[in-house]
Amino acid sequence: MKRGAVVTQILKPVVLAGFHVNSDKPKDEFLIPLKLTWNAGPLEAKSVSYPKPEEIKVGSQMLVVFTGTFPIQTEFKAPANAPPGSATMTGKLRYQACNSEMCFRPSTLDIRVPVAIE
Amino acid sequence: MALLALIAAVSCSAPKSTSASAEKAGPQPSKNRKPAAAFTLKDANGASVRLADYRGKVVLLNFWATWCGPCKVEIPWFMEFEQKYKSQGFAVLGVSMDDDGWTSVKPFLADHKINYRVLLGNDSMSQLYGGLDALPTTFIIDKDGNVAFPPHIGLINKNEYVAEIQSLLETHQQTTERPNSRPLPAALLLGAAK
Repeated sequence: MKRGAVVTQILKPVVLAGFHVNSDKPKDEFLIPLKLTWNAGPLEAKSVSYPKPEEIKVGSQMLVVFTGTFPIQTEFKAPANAPPGSATMTGKLRYQACNSEMCFRPSTLDIRVPVAIE
Repeated sequence: MALLALIAAVSCSAPKSTSASAEKAGPQPSKNRKPAAAFTLKDANGASVRLADYRGKVVLLNFWATWCGPCKVEIPWFMEFEQKYKSQGFAVLGVSMDDDGWTSVKPFLADHKINYRVLLGNDSMSQLYGGLDALPTTFIIDKDGNVAFPPHIGLINKNEYVAEIQSLLETHQQTTERPNSRPLPAALLLGAAK
């Protein structure tokens, strides 16, 4: 990408059938939200956007969740003074998954995205 | 230059739920039961609580977290059990596995008016009880401090807990009423039936 340009990067997590992860804005204050964060790097992460979640009922509680494959969009900008060449943007995806009977402890995935700046 | 789309698999291999096997399996024979791992944890008042303090009582030891929906389905059941069976020598011990500790747990306890003791767990506690791949995970411990049934991993039917608790309370009651197998004299039997 050219210096000064803005691009959209799309991350596509895949949640196995039968499971769900909380959305980025769960209704219950105690639930752990999905969160993508980027470390400082050659590009500036200007915004992170999540898709519209779906609603499911577990017990008596309505949850807003993501299932299957869903996109998380990040808008990156290459600063005008970014050094040209190859580099890597790194980040973390924090999530907490359940099915209708049990929940798994919150986990964090390391994310690495190669970039090339012209 | 094009940024590559990244696909990250969020994979969670579900541990085998024991609810089906627990339905069919009765209590482990007493001689085959293993001792529940000893621990000392803090409760919401900062007091140290040892599992050994509960020797002589049937204990439902429940691992849970405030972020666990299925755990929260069970909590009202456990509150009911605590109230109903307490006088018969029963206690519920909840062990929270919340990473941010009392920050999340204390408000939750207040909101839900939980009537049994809740302790704060940690990684060591998790390892003592099999790693706790999933929550809720619940152990039923007999009055001698031994694990009486296979652990329940995930949400199960409330009646399964009732059957297990009652079987242990009744067993102990029978044992204390008839400490030996010799028939008692009639006068004493009449006295016991009062």
